[in-house]
Formats: sequence, structure tokens, C-alpha cells
Amino acid sequence: MSVGMERIDELGGAAALAAELKTRRWHRPSGWHVLLLPVALVMAFPFVWLIVASISTLAETRTFPPSLPHGFPVQWLTNLWHNYGDAWTQAPFGTWVLNTTIVSASCVIGNLVFCSLAGYALARIRFFGNGALFLVILATIMVPFQVVMIPTLLIIKHLGLVDSLGALIAPNLVTPFGIFLLRQFFKTMPVEIEEAARIDGASRVGTLVKVVLPSMGAPLATVGIMTLLWTWNDFLWPLIAIQTPPHMTLQLGLQSFQSAHLTNWPVLMAATVMTQIPMLAIFIVAQRWFVQSLASSGVKG
Amino acid sequence: MDRLLASEHLAGWGFVSPAVILIALFGVVPIVWSVVLSFQRNNLMTPGVWIGLANYRRLMQDPLFTQSIRQTIVYTALFVPITIAGSLAIAVALNRKLIAIRLYRTAVFAPVVTSTVATAVIFLWLLDPDFGIVNAMLHHFGAAPQQFFQSTSQALFCIVAMTVWGWLGFGVIIYLAALQGVPRELLEAAEIDGATRWRAFRRVQLPLLGPTTLFLIVWLSINALQLFDEIYVTTRGGPLHATTVVVYYLYTQAFNYFHAGYATAIAYVLFLGILVLTIVELLVGRRTVHYRS
Amino acid sequence: MTRLRTTILISAAIALVAGAAGLLVGGCGSKKQSTVTSTTGGGETILVWHGYTDVERKTVEQAAVDFNATNPGFTVKAVFAGNNDFALQKLLTATAAGKYPDIAYQYGSSMANLVNLPKIVTLNDMITQPGVNWDDYFPAVRLAATVGDKVIGVPALVDNLAIVYNKKLFDQAGVGYPTADWTWTDFRSAAQKLTNASTKQYGWAYVNDGSEDTVWRFCALLWQAGGDLLTPDNTKAAFNSAAGVKAMTLLRDMAVVDKSVYLDSGNGNYLNLFNSGKIAMLWTGPWDLSSINADVSYGVQILAGDVSHATIAGPDNYVMLSNGAQNVADAWKFITWFNSAENHLKWCIQTGWLPLRQSETQLPDYKNVYLKKFPADELFVANLNNVTKARPNIASYPEVSAALGQAVQSVLLGKAEPQAALSSAEQQINGILATGGQ
Repeated sequence: MSVGMERIDELGGAAALAAELKTRRWHRPSGWHVLLLPVALVMAFPFVWLIVASISTLAETRTFPPSLPHGFPVQWLTNLWHNYGDAWTQAPFGTWVLNTTIVSASCVIGNLVFCSLAGYALARIRFFGNGALFLVILATIMVPFQVVMIPTLLIIKHLGLVDSLGALIAPNLVTPFGIFLLRQFFKTMPVEIEEAARIDGASRVGTLVKVVLPSMGAPLATVGIMTLLWTWNDFLWPLIAIQTPPHMTLQLGLQSFQSAHLTNWPVLMAATVMTQIPMLAIFIVAQRWFVQSLASSGVKG
Repeated sequence: MDRLLASEHLAGWGFVSPAVILIALFGVVPIVWSVVLSFQRNNLMTPGVWIGLANYRRLMQDPLFTQSIRQTIVYTALFVPITIAGSLAIAVALNRKLIAIRLYRTAVFAPVVTSTVATAVIFLWLLDPDFGIVNAMLHHFGAAPQQFFQSTSQALFCIVAMTVWGWLGFGVIIYLAALQGVPRELLEAAEIDGATRWRAFRRVQLPLLGPTTLFLIVWLSINALQLFDEIYVTTRGGPLHATTVVVYYLYTQAFNYFHAGYATAIAYVLFLGILVLTIVELLVGRRTVHYRS
Repeated sequence: MTRLRTTILISAAIALVAGAAGLLVGGCGSKKQSTVTSTTGGGETILVWHGYTDVERKTVEQAAVDFNATNPGFTVKAVFAGNNDFALQKLLTATAAGKYPDIAYQYGSSMANLVNLPKIVTLNDMITQPGVNWDDYFPAVRLAATVGDKVIGVPALVDNLAIVYNKKLFDQAGVGYPTADWTWTDFRSAAQKLTNASTKQYGWAYVNDGSEDTVWRFCALLWQAGGDLLTPDNTKAAFNSAAGVKAMTLLRDMAVVDKSVYLDSGNGNYLNLFNSGKIAMLWTGPWDLSSINADVSYGVQILAGDVSHATIAGPDNYVMLSNGAQNVADAWKFITWFNSAENHLKWCIQTGWLPLRQSETQLPDYKNVYLKKFPADELFVANLNNVTKARPNIASYPEVSAALGQAVQSVLLGKAEPQAALSSAEQQINGILATGGQ
């Protein structure tokens, strides 16, 4: 994963991009709109058509050629009420949001804590086996999930965690890539401040928490958001490890809902909107953090 | 001095121990275990039988496996260049201050946080052969309706289009970050030298984007070779295996037919493929990409 | 400020480690084996996995609620576990993973894959208990629950395929309604006349996803032509015969030459199109009747025939898995109650499914309510007489089915000629049968 190392010095660019996203200025018309407007429309259209279907009646989704639903605004709102209501009562979406939140939050906290500790030790503390351990971690980064998928299921079975949120949390509490990323950042920090704190009598943990981590906002956010996106949108592992609706996450739930309501498009689309709203809302609110983190990590859901 | 060192060892292991335990349990043990599994006939329910290299030998004669490799390669060879070219063009266009630039960016970025399952459900609807909007547009322009995901010749291309939509924003973000890192003075200097905008872009910006492009190629290829979610939701590998890619084939072997040994053998071949492709890309990349000092 | 952050971080870490440890430890010790002591219910939740949607789902969930209300100490929970097409795969994954339901709905064609599961409950002794009335079930249903000499299923569904047709479309096209002596030629020419490319109207629909749904329809055709799927000892393919070619050729002629067949991708869209008057004839069973809109006037007729009018039944079962003796006893009590003649007839009245027991047809509600609500079901019950053969009960059936499904699909899509598709499937299936699956 030597690619990651080169990425790190581009964080300057990521920060600049994020800062620029914050600014809000009006500028004169430009020819670039001719290119950008169609691109934005094409990118946004699937969302628009998704929402349109979710406020149509069943009959309207079964006409060709399709058109906008009739009866704006009263009928639209009625359809919206029916479709979203049907979806909501036919599957435990609230439970799925809660499950996904619990899994993602646990994994984000786990990664922040454990990756910080391990990354810091690997970067700063000279202990027996440091180098070898780092190599092992690098090696595990390279292995695709499909290789470990079946044995991981068997381990989860032995731990008695199958079909529980624990099955989704335990294997994702720490990611080798997170350790690697943070180690690289710890390495780039000047060691003098820490030494000063140590001479003042601070413990290792104290130094890490009080002196080092506060200046690591960006990389920690990267690890956090990376973990959030990964666990929130993961599908293959929940598909294997979870069997029943009460323990499903949003993505698995949506897929199971789809397999039961294949051509009831309005209700299925309402369900799809509901499952995507939480992450889209977080994204819109925290766009610049997401952008900065994605730019420096390379993860997509 | 010795005591200090001892405490260092202790502190070091104390810090890494939670991570080490978890990585050992969910990383190292499964890797070794799956090597064992790949030498077994194992249905996950009754004890496995040691069969040596038989799984690997069978792989080489399995026409469906060969087909799945071929389709994975076709998919990757389309998905990666299209995503890179598209995201570069969009990033260059977005890399300026314009009216509504935030709207444009949000539209381009939003698919990045949309889950693969949702993406697949949305595209199933857009490309529905009977009631889909895309066929309606074709109809409007007098073209014949298409079968899309239900056609053996079109399904894989539909998957490409769908995943490009999902990943474009990611590429744009990476390129935008890199473009912001290009010093404006360099561009201005080039333009003062009389170069056209296009030449300035080609001579100054593009070479500086080399490492970013290399990173994207590697990252997108790794993800493309592991394509699964979208296939599972849309076509389940069909019609007639036209979209059976390696990971989907592995999944059916493991969890439809419970050939766990055979499935792990496939996983190791996949691992090897990812490794080789990554190394080749990096080697070729190093030769052509110039890093800033 | 920093102090606060320190405290938060450290306590979060401690809470997390403690939580994780608790999860691991708690998970390990949670499953205790208990012995049967009473008939009042062990208090543990009895999990029923089903793949029902719509009316069936509401009915089974309500049944669980009713049962719990009248049987103190019992907590039966009916859970939708995904589309039935993937029920076998899900149950096997669950048993491999060590956490599985007490009762699960399974296709009859999956029984051979389930019989050797370590946790499957063999019911031979239990079905002789008073109140079960095992011999009251129709013979075909009992047979489908049995593998070799082991009974592992409680009957859940019996059905068969018949022609369900839209009367209005027949009238519009001036085609006579299907009769009981229709031949393949009658069927094909009617489908052709009922097809209209410009209005996207089709004569017939075929599920073309290569799954078992594709295969079992082909089985019916194969049997009608006098063919068989495998040799009697289940060691070799037998479908690559004159009958096989004849069946495949009918599919090719209708789908590729006449283009009178709507090819459903497996998402059940055929029913929507039937409801909106775009498909004239379906090959379907009683389970779809409750989904046909009230304003569609439809008729039912037995399948068109060649050598015979054979149809195929897909008797499905509830299988039981052991989560300890107490759970098995509780689950058995529920399923016996659920499948009693009175309760099953109630189910039929809700869903339009066919009765499973002889005695159900003697109950007053059978004629007064059930047949009044679903007149078409009388034909489906009679059509059970045309079920003369069954699919082979072998463990490698899923792979056999997958290979044959691909062959049928390739013919329907015009990608292969009937003979070539059959030969290639024969070769694959003989390979599968020779190695026993792997």
C-alpha cells in the first residue's frame, strides 16, 4: 500500500479544497456552465427520478411512457404519505437505522482509539517486535476481504455472535489501514513537543491524549469518516453474518425489502429514499469534512 | 537504563495489544485458516476432507470460472479508464469559482455516499425494460426499447454505467484536491509565456496530476476486481452468466452450493490477481509518472 | 478542556473494551440446552422463518399472535427471512453459522439438501402422536415431506401449475377459451393470436431467470412430452431425449419465432402485466390468485397436453431444526396447531392456497366460504390428479437445476438451439452427478 504514502503529501491540497468549499462568492457568467450543467443534471437525475417514483401511485409506475405523477400538490402528498407509510410499516426501518448507527458508532470509536494507540506506538515507541508487527499489519492491508470471509464467519460462529450486531462490530473495531495511516502522520510530527511534555512528567498516555492527538484533527477525522462510510454502507459481510430483519443494517435491510417488493416501485423507492437520507444528510451538513477525508484516504461506500 | 527499556517494551505492547488481538483474530487467523480450507473439500457443516491441490486443479478446468475472470477483466478495463477520464474532466471544470459551483459539486459528490444497494435499486428502475425512463427516452427519439440488465449483451455495460455513476464523484474529489495543490503561479507563468490554456493544462497541470492518476488507477482497479454488491442486487450474475464476475462466482460457490474449499481457492486466485495487477500498475506508473520533489 | 477530552477518550476506550468483552462472553454462554419437562411452553422464543409477503405474511404473523395469546408460556415469532427462492441457501448459511430458526419454510425440492443437516429434526416418531392426523394429509404432500424413510417436513403448501387466462383479452382477439383437451398446437396458436407487438401484449409469460422457477415449468413440459429429468436411479441425465427436444423446441418456437412470450426476469412482473391486461395466459398456481386484481375477469384451465396433460406440484414444507428438546417440543406444538384442519382452512380462505388435508374439504367452510371466494381453486384441486411425477430428491439438485435453468434460458433468449442446449446441459449434469456435487 505504498500508494498511501504519496497521498499524504497531497493533504495540503485536500485542506485547500475543503477551505475553498466554505467560501461563498458570486462570480460572473462563464462558458464552463455549458459543460457543468448537463453533467450535474445527469448525476442528479437518478435521485430526481427516484423521488418522483416514490411519490407516484402504483398505476402511474406501470404506464409507458412514464410521466410525472398527477395531481400536484395534494395527490403528490397523499402518495408520499401512503408510499412512505407502507414502507415504514412493512419493514423495521427504525430498527435498521438504530442498528447501523450502533455498528458504525462502535466501529468509529474503536478505530479512533485502537488505531491511535497502535499507530502511535508503532511510530514512537521502540519496543521489541515493532518492525515485524508493522510488516504484518502492512501485509494484512493487502489481503482482500473475500479471502478471510469464510473463516471469519466460522470465528464469529465460535464466538456465538452470528446474527447479532456483535458480528458486524467485532471484526471492524480496528482496521490495519487506519493504523498505517495514523502511524505515517505520527511519524511526520516533530518529536520535540512530546519530549518536553515527557520531561514535565506526563505519562505516555497523557502525552498522546493531551499533546499529540489534539493536533491530529484531520487524520483522525479521516480515519473516522473512512470507518463510518465503510461500516454504514457495507453489504457483503452483513449479507453473510446476519440472517433476520431485527439485526439487519440499512443496506441489507433495503436489499431484503427489495427482494420482497420487487416491482412495487413506489414503495420500494420510498424505502430507498428512507435508507439513504441519514447518510446524505450527514454528508450535506459535513460536506467539507467528507471531501477532505475522502481526498486523503481513498474510501467509498 | 534496562528498566527504562523494559518499560518501553511494556508500554509499546500495551498500546498495540488491543489492535494486535483484533488483527490476529480477524486478520491473521482467517488468512491461515483459509489456506487450510482451500486444500479441503468442506461444506461448512461436516468436517472437511483433505484433497491437496484438487480445488486449484479444478479451477483451471472450470469454464465458468474462466468466463468470470474474462468478464471481470472486461469490466475493469472499461470501468477504470472511463471513471478516470470522466472525473478528470469534471474536476478541471469544477476547479474554479462559478455561480452555483456548490450545487454542481454536491450533485457530483452525492453518489459517493449513496450505498451500492441503493444505487443498484435506482438503476434497476431507470433501466426497467417495460416502464423505465431510459427506454422512454429512447422511444421518444424513435429508438427501439432495450432489455438492459436482462440482455446478455448489455447487462455488463449497464453495470459499468451504474458503477461509473457511483464512483465518478470520488475521482473528482481526489483530482480536485490535487488540482488545488497545483501552484497557480505555475499556470500563470505558462500563460504569460504565450501558451494557450489547453497547452498550459497539458504541459503544466497534467504531468503534476501523474501521481494522483496512478493512485486512482490502483485504487479503482482493486475495487473493480472485487465488484459484488451491484451484481447481487441487479442481475445475480445473469442472464446466462453474462455478469458473473469473480467475487460473485465465489459467493455462489461458498453460499449457494457450500463448496467452501473451492470458494477459498477462488479467493486466493483473486488475491493473486489483485496483487499482480497492482504491482504492474505501480511499476509502469513509476516509469511514466514524475513526482514533484 | 483537555482534561475533559482525556476523560471522555479514556472512558470511551474502557467502555468499548468492556462492551466488546461482554459481547464475546455473553454470546458464548447464551445457548443452554434444556430438556423437555412440560407441555406449557419453555418460554424461549420459537422462531419461524418464512418468505411470505402481503396476505400470507399478515396471516402467519397473526397466527403466531393468536397462538401466543391462547397458549401461555409460548412465544412464537414469525419472521420474514427473505424471498423463498433463497430460503435453502439462507438456512444452510444459518446452520453453518450456528444460529438458526426452530421452523423454516423450505421448497420441497430442497429436502434432500436438508436431510443430512446435523440439527434437522426427524419427525417419524412425532407424526404418530394423537392430534397430528398425519394420514389425513394428501398422499403427494406426505411424499414430498419424506426423504428415503425419514419424514423431515410438515406440509406447508401444495400447488400445481394451470393456465390462468384473462377472459377479456380472449374475447377481444376472438379466441376460444382454453379447454381441457387443448394440445400444444392449440396453446401455441392461441398465444400467437393473443400477441400484439404494437401494444406490447403477449400471449404467455415465462419466468426466465434460470432459477428453479424456470426449471420446474420446463419439467412440466418435459413430462407432458413423455420425458424424464434423470434416469430412475438418479445417476444420469435423461432429458436429452426426443421428448426433451420437443419441449425445448416448443419454447424456442413460442419465444423466439412467434415472440408470443413475455420473458420475466424473475421479479414477478408478469403478474403486474397480467393485471394490466398485457399478458393473456399465465402458467401459475393458487398462490398468485390473491394478487389478481378484482376487476380482472379470469378463468382457469389445466395445462395443454402433448402425450399427457401432466403438471408439476411443488409441495413445500416447514422443516424443524433443533435448538434443544424444549424448543423442539414447543415448535411442534405450534406447527401442529397451525396445520390443524380448521386452522389450515382459515389460512386457505385468507390466501387462496389449496387444502393440504382430506378433511379440510369436508368442513362446511370449504364449500360455503373458500370455494365461493376462490372458485378457481376447484380446478387446482382436481388438477392434482395430473401430478404424476416429482423432481428427484437428491442433494445435488440445486446444481442440476442451475445447469438446466441455463439451458432453458439460452433457448428462450435465442442464444442456443434446443438440441445443443440440452446436450451441453446433459454433459454438465452428468459431471455433477458423477462427483456428487463437488
